[in-house]
Amino acid sequence: MGRAGTGGADLAARVGLAAALAAVAAAVAAAVAAAVAAPVAAKPTVQRPLQRLVWTMAMRLLLRLLLLLLLLLPAALLGTLLPAAHAGAPGVDEPPVASAPRPLTLPVLQERTLANGLAVVVAPRPGLPVVSATLLVRAGAETDPPDKPGLAAMTTNLWPKGALRNGRPVPATDLARQAEALGSGLDASSGWGASTLSMTVSSPRLDEALALMADVLRRPVLAEAELERARAQTLDGLRVTLGNPSEVAGLALRRSFWGDSAYGRVTTPASVQRLRRADLRAFQAQWVRPDRVALLLVGDITPEHGQALAQRLLGDWRAPTTPTPQLNPAAPAPAAAALLLIDMPGSGQSGVAVAAPYLGDSTADRRARYIGALASAVLGGGYSARVNQEVRIKRGLSYGASAGAESQASGGMFSARAQTNHPTAAEVLQLLRSEITRLADAPPAADELAARQATLVGAFARRLETTAGLSAQLVAQIAHGRPLAELADYAPGVLAVTPAQVQAFARQHWAAGGLRAVVAGDLAAAGSSLTSLAAPAQRLPLGQLDLEQAGMRKTAKP
Amino acid sequence: MPLSITRRRGLALLGAASLPAWAADTATPAAAGASAAAPAPEGAAPQPGRPPAPPRITLPPLALRMRRLGNGLQVVSLPTRGGATVSVQVWYRVGGKDDPAGRAGFAHLFEHLMFKRTRHMAPEMFDRLTEDVGGQNNAFTAEDMTAYQSEVPSNHLERLLWAEAERLGGLQVDQASFESERKVVIEELRQRVLADPYGRLFNALPGNAFERHPYRRPVIGSEADLNAATLADVQRFHTTYYRPDNAVLIVVGDFDPAQLDGWVDRYFGPLATPSQPIPRVATTEPARAQDARVTVQAPNVPLPAVALVWKGPPVGHPDAAALAVAAALLSAGESSRLNEALVYDAQIAQAAGFAAELYADAGMLAAYAIGASGQPLRKLEGALLAQINLLVRGKVGYGEIDKVRTQLLTGALLQRQTPQGLADAIGRAVLLYGDARDVDQRINRLQAVRAADVQRVLDQYLLRTRRVTIDYVQGAAA
Repeated sequence: MGRAGTGGADLAARVGLAAALAAVAAAVAAAVAAAVAAPVAAKPTVQRPLQRLVWTMAMRLLLRLLLLLLLLLPAALLGTLLPAAHAGAPGVDEPPVASAPRPLTLPVLQERTLANGLAVVVAPRPGLPVVSATLLVRAGAETDPPDKPGLAAMTTNLWPKGALRNGRPVPATDLARQAEALGSGLDASSGWGASTLSMTVSSPRLDEALALMADVLRRPVLAEAELERARAQTLDGLRVTLGNPSEVAGLALRRSFWGDSAYGRVTTPASVQRLRRADLRAFQAQWVRPDRVALLLVGDITPEHGQALAQRLLGDWRAPTTPTPQLNPAAPAPAAAALLLIDMPGSGQSGVAVAAPYLGDSTADRRARYIGALASAVLGGGYSARVNQEVRIKRGLSYGASAGAESQASGGMFSARAQTNHPTAAEVLQLLRSEITRLADAPPAADELAARQATLVGAFARRLETTAGLSAQLVAQIAHGRPLAELADYAPGVLAVTPAQVQAFARQHWAAGGLRAVVAGDLAAAGSSLTSLAAPAQRLPLGQLDLEQAGMRKTAKP
Repeated sequence: MPLSITRRRGLALLGAASLPAWAADTATPAAAGASAAAPAPEGAAPQPGRPPAPPRITLPPLALRMRRLGNGLQVVSLPTRGGATVSVQVWYRVGGKDDPAGRAGFAHLFEHLMFKRTRHMAPEMFDRLTEDVGGQNNAFTAEDMTAYQSEVPSNHLERLLWAEAERLGGLQVDQASFESERKVVIEELRQRVLADPYGRLFNALPGNAFERHPYRRPVIGSEADLNAATLADVQRFHTTYYRPDNAVLIVVGDFDPAQLDGWVDRYFGPLATPSQPIPRVATTEPARAQDARVTVQAPNVPLPAVALVWKGPPVGHPDAAALAVAAALLSAGESSRLNEALVYDAQIAQAAGFAAELYADAGMLAAYAIGASGQPLRKLEGALLAQINLLVRGKVGYGEIDKVRTQLLTGALLQRQTPQGLADAIGRAVLLYGDARDVDQRINRLQAVRAADVQRVLDQYLLRTRRVTIDYVQGAAA
């Protein structure tokens, strides 16, 4: 995400042990946050592909025949024939044949709505005595006023920093102790389309945990002193974020692609300074109301227990009669310059990032979204996908190149990125760009597409394995305004996409003129390769970068 | 941003860093159903006036299956119910400490090469067998071990077993793959150590914690040593360490036990074990004679930081559990002592933490704080030491210890949710504690730690022991 500074947390995570324990709780929050920010793709599966079953059976037959044939040949001849003929013996010089796939079962979801409009979703997963509880507010960073980016994130940040419990204010430290005594931190985070508060606890602790969460969400103090504390920490966090070339490239790319749209706004040191307590209270009053909230309970819990808990802890919450504000986020308005070069002298690597247009949430046709998901996956859906294939596997230019897409209410952005040594930044930039535009002329082969389809469906299935993963999946659905029942359609929808559809998608969306790119790194160390690129580039020292300005350059203070 | 940096083929820089980290600390798990919410009486009685504690869950022991083949290969398996995936992992008893002389980072580079050509597999064939069918693969290298971790739809289990046996028995890396992957590893080093604003600080810890043991070389190594490596080194390393009697195969998830045993016999049984002994690091780490101060400089330090490092016991030492609980008291969560005191109350730090990184032969204990803007490092150092002193000499309430127990237990539960998580816990138990069953025992050890134990070990290993203080500041990098 990188909207607010998270450097401190990242750092803590580096120091294994102790921090790891904190991460127990943070895991859900992170997964949820990732899902909110994330793409399109995430959705559930039902069964392993039928087509794979058929394929498997055919292959098995074929391989049995081959094996039989080989057994009839003299051993010496066999030895010479094998490498050339590539007629292998399964389990000897090639992998044995896979057996019949097992069907996967989708989680059972029970959805109810309380009288006050609060949605309750229970996904029972008997087995381990653990439950992930999430309170989701359908309002994220897209609700930030234009001059107050970071407002939703800051409000969310302050939820666990003081709340009324039984009519008495309970300070932040006590809330943290109460939560962690139950086994989990109070994880609050804000993404696009949703802000969430979550805990994962052993099931005997669920009632207490949810009571705590309900108080924190409904009755936060949002104290002035806590705002100042969080402001100082966020500013320090941003210093760490802005010291990392990859983070800088990612933030600048967002602004470069979306322009002044709500989805292009980035938290900056200056915007953090502008947040007032009244702003936070306004966000709380406008958006945190039962008819904008969903409770998700995933794990060792029955629907009856879940509904009763929801009624007891959240049923008396009254929704205001006023409507929520209408949001009309703008469509992407990409910057004039197709390439932005940000100079960070002394940085350890260059961050390279390229954006291209993608589908928005308004795309009504679900099939179109699956096609988009596959186009994105052919380029960045996994280790073997094209950008990592070209940048890392073939050329060794980076530890990893990745790509993915996000759909928002007013449009979408696909992006690819990598970190590399400065002198190879230009080469990586060209590779990322050309892989995006090349898809229009080079559709995936059948096996390439099948691999990406399997990767998407497999990743989806793995997310369903954990309570936090399934919770994140549900959060993503709700944040994008999609029915949960759609999850059942995900795997078949993904598997139905054809290479020609992917190619058509690329032709429609991924022409060279629509790309925007950022390179952040030590430009002197990169040498002349970057400046010799054809595209007209804007060049800025990091100190002159202002992500709130259309031109991205700092202006003199009025 | 919707993207995350791929972690593939990573390395555990600080022990548990890149993994489901509580694995290292919390071990544990249940077969298919750690169940029952049974109230478990905990040592101390609830205090008067307090509501009774909620029932505590208990984790039944895992129904582990253990075998050893004639060639020495150890096999641990655990069938679980309800899923359609299986985790296949092979853990080797070789790690950063076994890097050849002048080849710092080699064990990790080698790990990357295990995804290249073998007798019967083209480079990257593992991706065809995992990712392309909806599974995943990864690997990591730590101080004492290298682990290869795959997860696949369970109908692909036999294929993975064949492939793991194949790269154990017949790795054939070519020059082109070797050179290309070395470049990747050097970019990984740049990304972790040079581009991350605090990479140079954490990379400097082992070299300051250890004086003699090869643990003093960071697992990621150095660019010069990586560049000095040759294809001949690769072949020698494989022959030396990648042999059945130096490996543990772990299979967890949806499988039929009898079928698994048959496949393991078929694919791993024929692999030969060389007769020469496996070389082992025998260096012992001396006690530190005196305190030292070091300054590490880097070109982009957004906020200066300080780290204190001490030597700790090896992971198998009886004090290890108390140190793990101490680390949790000091830095697990918002309400941990260091966070509450330095970050929240005094607001002198942007982040603060404590880690007990205990390895097979020796350990490192590290406290660190990244300063809030304008805070002098001496003040941070003083505050870290004050908190440690307070924990050792002050009162530790039952509630605080109980909180940590619950955190550790919850972490263990979460790890049991997936075959990968379970297999990872088993791998650590076998390699670090010598027994897969330690997955169950370790959580019990952690739950049994008392406040007095924590105070004793911190007094012994921190307060009565020499340390190195590392200042991390902006400046020309060495």
